[in-house]
Amino acid sequence: MGIRLSGLASRSLRARMLMVFLLLLAVIVIVTLVTVQKATYRHSTGQVQDHARTSAIVVKDKIQNRSRQLESALATLAKDFNTKQLIAGGKQDPESLLIALRNHQRRINADLSWVTDADGELLTMTQDLPASQLTRQLTETSPIMWRFIDGRYYLLQGVAVRFVESSPRVNAWLFAAVEGSRLITPELVTLTDMQISLFSPAPEHQLIASSFSPAQASQLESKTLNWTPGLHQVSLSPAEQSSEFIYATSDIGSSTQGPLKLVLATIADKAYLSYNSLIGQLILILAIAGLLALGAAVIISNGISRPLTRLVGVTNKIRKGHYVDDVPKSTTLEIASLSTAIDEMQQGIKQRELEIQQLAYFDSLTGLPNRNQFNQQLQRLVDDRHDPVVVMMMDVDRFKDINDTLGHNIGDQLLNKIASRLSHIELDNLFVARLGGDEFGLIWFGDTSHTPKSLANQVVDAFRTPFDIEKLRLDLDLSIGVAVYPQHGDSPANLIQCADIAMYSCKGHHRAFAIYRPELNKYSVQRLSLMSELRSALSEGQLQLYYQPKVLLDDGNVSGAECLIRWIHPVHGFIPPDQFIPLAEQTGAIRDVTHWALNEAMAQQQKWSQAGLELNVAVNISPLDLVDMTLPELVSHLFSQYPDNLGGLTLEVTESAVMGDPDTAIKALEKLKTMGVILSIDDFGTGYSSMAQLKKMPVDELKIDKAFVLDLATNAEDQVMVNTLLSLAHHLDLKTVAEGVEDEASLTFLKQAGCHKAQGFYMSKPLPAAAFDDWIRQAQDRPV
Amino acid sequence: MLKRCLCILSCLLSLPALATELAVTVLTEDGKPMPGAVIYLTSEQALPGVEEGAVATMDQVNKQFAPHILVVQKGTQVSFPNSDSIQHHVYSFSAAKTFQLQLYKDNNPAPLPFDAEGKVELGCNVHDWMLGYIYVVDTPYFGQTNKKGQLSLNIADGDYRLHIRHPRIEEASANLDRNLSIHADEQVAIQLKQPLLPGLNEFEDDTDEFIGYE
Repeated sequence: MGIRLSGLASRSLRARMLMVFLLLLAVIVIVTLVTVQKATYRHSTGQVQDHARTSAIVVKDKIQNRSRQLESALATLAKDFNTKQLIAGGKQDPESLLIALRNHQRRINADLSWVTDADGELLTMTQDLPASQLTRQLTETSPIMWRFIDGRYYLLQGVAVRFVESSPRVNAWLFAAVEGSRLITPELVTLTDMQISLFSPAPEHQLIASSFSPAQASQLESKTLNWTPGLHQVSLSPAEQSSEFIYATSDIGSSTQGPLKLVLATIADKAYLSYNSLIGQLILILAIAGLLALGAAVIISNGISRPLTRLVGVTNKIRKGHYVDDVPKSTTLEIASLSTAIDEMQQGIKQRELEIQQLAYFDSLTGLPNRNQFNQQLQRLVDDRHDPVVVMMMDVDRFKDINDTLGHNIGDQLLNKIASRLSHIELDNLFVARLGGDEFGLIWFGDTSHTPKSLANQVVDAFRTPFDIEKLRLDLDLSIGVAVYPQHGDSPANLIQCADIAMYSCKGHHRAFAIYRPELNKYSVQRLSLMSELRSALSEGQLQLYYQPKVLLDDGNVSGAECLIRWIHPVHGFIPPDQFIPLAEQTGAIRDVTHWALNEAMAQQQKWSQAGLELNVAVNISPLDLVDMTLPELVSHLFSQYPDNLGGLTLEVTESAVMGDPDTAIKALEKLKTMGVILSIDDFGTGYSSMAQLKKMPVDELKIDKAFVLDLATNAEDQVMVNTLLSLAHHLDLKTVAEGVEDEASLTFLKQAGCHKAQGFYMSKPLPAAAFDDWIRQAQDRPV
Repeated sequence: MLKRCLCILSCLLSLPALATELAVTVLTEDGKPMPGAVIYLTSEQALPGVEEGAVATMDQVNKQFAPHILVVQKGTQVSFPNSDSIQHHVYSFSAAKTFQLQLYKDNNPAPLPFDAEGKVELGCNVHDWMLGYIYVVDTPYFGQTNKKGQLSLNIADGDYRLHIRHPRIEEASANLDRNLSIHADEQVAIQLKQPLLPGLNEFEDDTDEFIGYE
């Protein structure tokens, strides 16, 4: 779903809510169940106890009633005149008394009756039982009296008979008794809803009567019962459902033997029936409540999580860059505010995206499209296979100097003006972009009405007029590289590269623009990688110095050697200096190269000096080495490092070396000159050398470019030129060196023309140090 | 009623040989006078029998026996009139005389002879509260103590055995009876050793007027 926040620890809101709900519910259910269970168990127990107590009262009451009934019946009988008559005549006529007594016993449903006289002597009894066990008279009465007669317990009542009712004297006693076993009636069981048993615990554990089945009754009699107050359990089998009974006991009068007890029992399950069903119902209710609550939780959590899920969907869409017009709304306040926040965030993102787009596709300084848009525009045109597309890369020569000397403020104003000029070029279908720094890119995607050359000229024309900035007048030199689609490349990257190559090519030749040619690209790919490899090449010893001898023309002696850098690349093999030196100049690695070359040359010179050879070493230096004073310092350091070197050091500088910053360069050269370094102007005659400049330069030597020397033997023009140059040098009091001497005729011409030294393949090609040593040994034995 | 009693007494007192007076005082166990106690003297000597045709009366007045205690000499006839306007059913299961009489208003059955010595307890089958006693004694010398517990008897000199009886006296006869030799006037004081039986205060006034029993 994409809303995984922090691994396993994050759970969905819904699951969390449900879990909390469930937990809460479980706690409530458990607490309720435990509480209710305890309360209802206590209540049920209390009810059973109450039931037993009430039942005991009922049974007791019933028995008491029976007792009272006996008593009142006896009292009535005792007052009866006939009875009195019969009792009075009992001794004489016991038969009549007995029959009357039996009659009465039947009436009152008693089991035993007897009469004693005033002295307690038995007059008659209805059953033939041991007279000695019979009660003779009652000294005191209680509501329930039990008598143990002939192995059985009887409920007894007796009244005194007075022949004259008001008499203080008792004339006889009437007794009636009901067997205890008959007192526990089914009616009582129905009334109390309990099993009732009548016990005589002492002296012998005897069950007098029970509503239990005979089998259970005899079991009960055999059990040891707990007579203490409260509820107890006893198990009797076989019972219909359960063998467990709960019972309570209660006192119920006493006999001459001891107190009698009632045992009231009920089936345990029945006793707790309401409790069990209540718990059952409660569990059911809680289960239903739980389900309802769960449902509610699901609904609530859905009410939150579903809109959240929809909002997540919306934010995912926004993340992918699709804008959503209809952000889901919710009636839940929190969700609604989140929804609003997301909507507002979307608006904010839109706004910022616009700003970013502006930043991304337009240059903030000039307002022109930037490199991104330039690339996109070019890509679009290439995709459309527009033919032709002319790509022009343009930069301002020495813009860095302007920035550094006049300040960035002026630089920025200048860039703005450049942008303005470019924008105002009257060409349809021209796309102008600032690619960064002083680099501008132009794309023309018109028809064939313009040639690349005419387009480039139009651009150059736009910069003919100088720029006026803060009362400064700036005349700019441009370098424009032109590439054409589809001839020069079929991809924007290729086209841009071609245009760049063309642009760099015009820098070296001081042309305003150059149209790409394949040969410009010869080493371009290689160049790019070499740039990065040059430094490591230095440290890994891939660079070597080759030595080409310089020969004195007047005596043929070897005066020294020019030290030429050779890069033996492990992959590309030999790389000529004119391939990587310009690169090194662009990347600034040229200083390291110069330092290395100087050090290497001096080290070699030391070896030669130690071998007794006095050879001057000439090292080419780059114009960049002269922009500050580090070169004189280095040379001074090397001189102190190699103090015993013989032959001296020559530094060869091109004419253009002093063009960039003549003052600093000349200052550096003068410093070098005072240190005894011989300064030589290299490639003399090829550049746009200013004679005024030449005059200022503290040089000792001119080196005639090989362009004039190679065909010297045959070319008359070259001969004129060389003579002129030699003459010029002579008059400026400069020594001369000719390079590129490839045959004897040229050498002879030079000797006659008064040139001082010569070097070239005729004498020797540049050699490694060891080969140079061999060569010089042979040369000493050979006349020039 | 009182008149009749006095009449009987006067008859007794009018006997010629009776010159000596015996004064008997009966006190209860706690020293109070015991009224209504039946005192009689027996002797081994022949004593005068009852006058032929002597009739004593045990009336029913106001749903009570009147008197409460009647002492008669053996052989006396006792009549049971009914002075109430309601019916009575007088009976006795006592050994000395067992009888029952249905007494209706204006129905005067013949007097019953009381020929055996002893105490006859009378009851009414209709009215449980009614209680009366007839002491049948075999001597002409008998009487009941007055409110002061005193009785005076005129008797002939001689050796006698003095008996004292009352329904509320529980003590065995032997404890209370005593022998007396009467030669001159004599006073005998008898104090009961046991408390009287409870209740029956109503009858002790020895009065015909009885109010508020019920």
